[in-house]
Amino acid sequence: MSEQVKRVTIVGGGSAGWLVAGVLASRFKEQAQGGIDITLVESPDVKAIGVGEGTWPSMRTTLQSIGVSETEFMRECDVSFKQGSYFKNWRTGDDDYYHPFSPPGEFSQVNLVSPWQQMHNGSSFADAVSPQIEICRQNKAPKQITTPEYAFILNYGYHLNAAKFGEFLKRHCVDNLQVRYISDHVVGINSNDDDSIKSLQTKQNGDLVADIFVDCTGFASILLGEHYKIGLNKVDRILFNDTALATQVVYKDDQQPISSQTTATAQSAGWVWDIALPQRRGCGYVYSSAHIDHDIAQKEFIDYLSQTIPEAQAQDLSFRKIDINSGYRKNFWHKNCLAIGLSAGFVEPLEASALVMVEMSAKMLADEFPVTKELIPIVANRFNKKFTEHWEQIIDFLKLHYCLTERCDSEYWVDNASQSSYTESMLENLALWQYRPPWHMDTPTIDALFPSASYQYVLCGMGYVSDVTQLPTRSYDQQLNIAQQIFNDVHAKKQKMMSALPTNRELIGKVRAHGFNKI
Amino acid sequence: MANFVMLNQEQHADIKVIDERSQVYGDNVMYAMTFPFEFRNVQGSYPIFFQKNAETGAFFPVALFGFQEAENLFLDDSGWNAAYIPLMIRRQPFLIGFQEDSTAKDKKKAVITIDMDSPRVNTEKGNALFEHGGMTEYLSQMNANLEMINAAHEHNEKFINAIMELELIEQFTLDVPLKDGSTNQLLGLYTINEDKVQELSGEQMQQLNSQGFLMPIFMVMASHSCLRTLVDRKNEQTV
Repeated sequence: MSEQVKRVTIVGGGSAGWLVAGVLASRFKEQAQGGIDITLVESPDVKAIGVGEGTWPSMRTTLQSIGVSETEFMRECDVSFKQGSYFKNWRTGDDDYYHPFSPPGEFSQVNLVSPWQQMHNGSSFADAVSPQIEICRQNKAPKQITTPEYAFILNYGYHLNAAKFGEFLKRHCVDNLQVRYISDHVVGINSNDDDSIKSLQTKQNGDLVADIFVDCTGFASILLGEHYKIGLNKVDRILFNDTALATQVVYKDDQQPISSQTTATAQSAGWVWDIALPQRRGCGYVYSSAHIDHDIAQKEFIDYLSQTIPEAQAQDLSFRKIDINSGYRKNFWHKNCLAIGLSAGFVEPLEASALVMVEMSAKMLADEFPVTKELIPIVANRFNKKFTEHWEQIIDFLKLHYCLTERCDSEYWVDNASQSSYTESMLENLALWQYRPPWHMDTPTIDALFPSASYQYVLCGMGYVSDVTQLPTRSYDQQLNIAQQIFNDVHAKKQKMMSALPTNRELIGKVRAHGFNKI
Repeated sequence: MANFVMLNQEQHADIKVIDERSQVYGDNVMYAMTFPFEFRNVQGSYPIFFQKNAETGAFFPVALFGFQEAENLFLDDSGWNAAYIPLMIRRQPFLIGFQEDSTAKDKKKAVITIDMDSPRVNTEKGNALFEHGGMTEYLSQMNANLEMINAAHEHNEKFINAIMELELIEQFTLDVPLKDGSTNQLLGLYTINEDKVQELSGEQMQQLNSQGFLMPIFMVMASHSCLRTLVDRKNEQTV
């Protein structure tokens, strides 16, 4: 047996670094017990970028698996519940639709898209197939105080304060999971004969030797990008947005409702995210600098903010400009070094894919952990293949939000609808969807990031119609009967939940006062 | 709707309280909150489970009287047929209230309140509250009950915390097959996980014992034999 992998060093301590540390350290025994040494080295000067305030429902599983109490997490990281995304003005400039976290009713068995097209009576697809939309409209929570921690009545993820989240994970990793923490500057890299990384030179702690190095250094990507010169697959041909303008808005008073979803409102050259935390909203305009001047973008953003706060107050807000270099690494794992987080790639946060990619990367590293050094290239290969697939799906899915637009009020939307900006795989999918709605075979792997339900929500939301009549099927009436039954069930559930579920503000208050039970 | 007011000798001199047990007085309840100090009496007649407070999510023990809303299988025209009636039932129509204490800030004084809208409250029949310028024996007894309940709430919380910490509580669904072939299903109940109790270390047992929590745990487990009685009563009713 070749030499065993016994030491993992993570460079960089934002949400990504600490999530990776938490997932590994909660999975494997510590070194003193014959397990793995997990070390995280973080520069005392570099501030975490602190964006990424939305998570997927996967974060519940991740936090539970690393032994975090949901109550403590919610109390310490300014957390609110996120039940999906809400898109405004993407189709015509005066329209809206939801992409909820709950799949349509009986999703594993029944495709409800064409029955809905036939029988919807004016209700949106998402409304017909899931009770979650109305709950979101009423700013209600996805569970009750009596629901155990991490369990749900309606599926949910979180909105959170990213800076506090990193600090919270750090405390948990160091205090409860015995992660070795070193605050120091990495000033150089020592290589082995085969060009793998032997150790990191630090200012005060000497050389940090390890078997695997995880690059969580954000956009800087000092190991994979700077040291190994692994470049980016640029995607700006497909997704145009390259700049974000971010700010925070406090509530008028502590009675203002806390929204249940991330709202993405389309603008003339991009879209504005609006994320509701218990104490404030985080907002940002993501735009294409090729399509709009910065000053005009800022004015447009202020106009958006002025719909909810006095214009003078919106004018006075401070805005942080963030450059987005859309793309993902040509390889994520090279030799004994892998990149997780922003160092691996970044695209606009339209479906909050950043943190879930960190979770999935950390999980795959733990699931496929190479026991010996000999296995590293095999695992690296599989990792690269898997995450290239994930990135390709993200790019396709994000583009899907744009390409069906009917807007032609600005070059930005016209360019977005132009087929020259599509990917090959999208063109194929859209060709098939002309005659059948998205279904399970469109996302054949079980760990696909977006299930075909997500495609259904976006396509129906954007008014796309699959013409199923071109392929007449037997027993269609029977299908309609089954669908009608499901629509009725959804409606009945909605009525029940409307009276049983508290508002987000009420439940967050109760979590602070009483907390969730474990059971 | 309940209408609780602070009990006051002048205002309530003529008030009488009926203590008969009947549906007329709202005794047709499916369960009542109970407390470890009365478990010994409760477990002789009723199964004890745990429920969550809908407002806070906190667990509390309950004595079960029936299998559905407003069903009390111990209640009939002759009254409440059981050797013991839990304190939270007997306290009615009184409730402990809290008043700002003028002598000490942040401190609240416990006072007796009475639900003036309760059908038990009248001026014709039942127990008088005041006589010769003081409390009647009946009211003194009620007052003592309320004080016991007040202390027991705090004790309950400690009891629950202790058994939660040791992960002794588990959720379960009560399926009650009846003679007529139907099944009654009760959701939202929690109970003591007996396997977990058996796995407790000597040290943990001793700790529980010194806190006075060991006996109540066993009382809860013993109370489950009363489920049989409850099912029998239900079957008699449905025949």
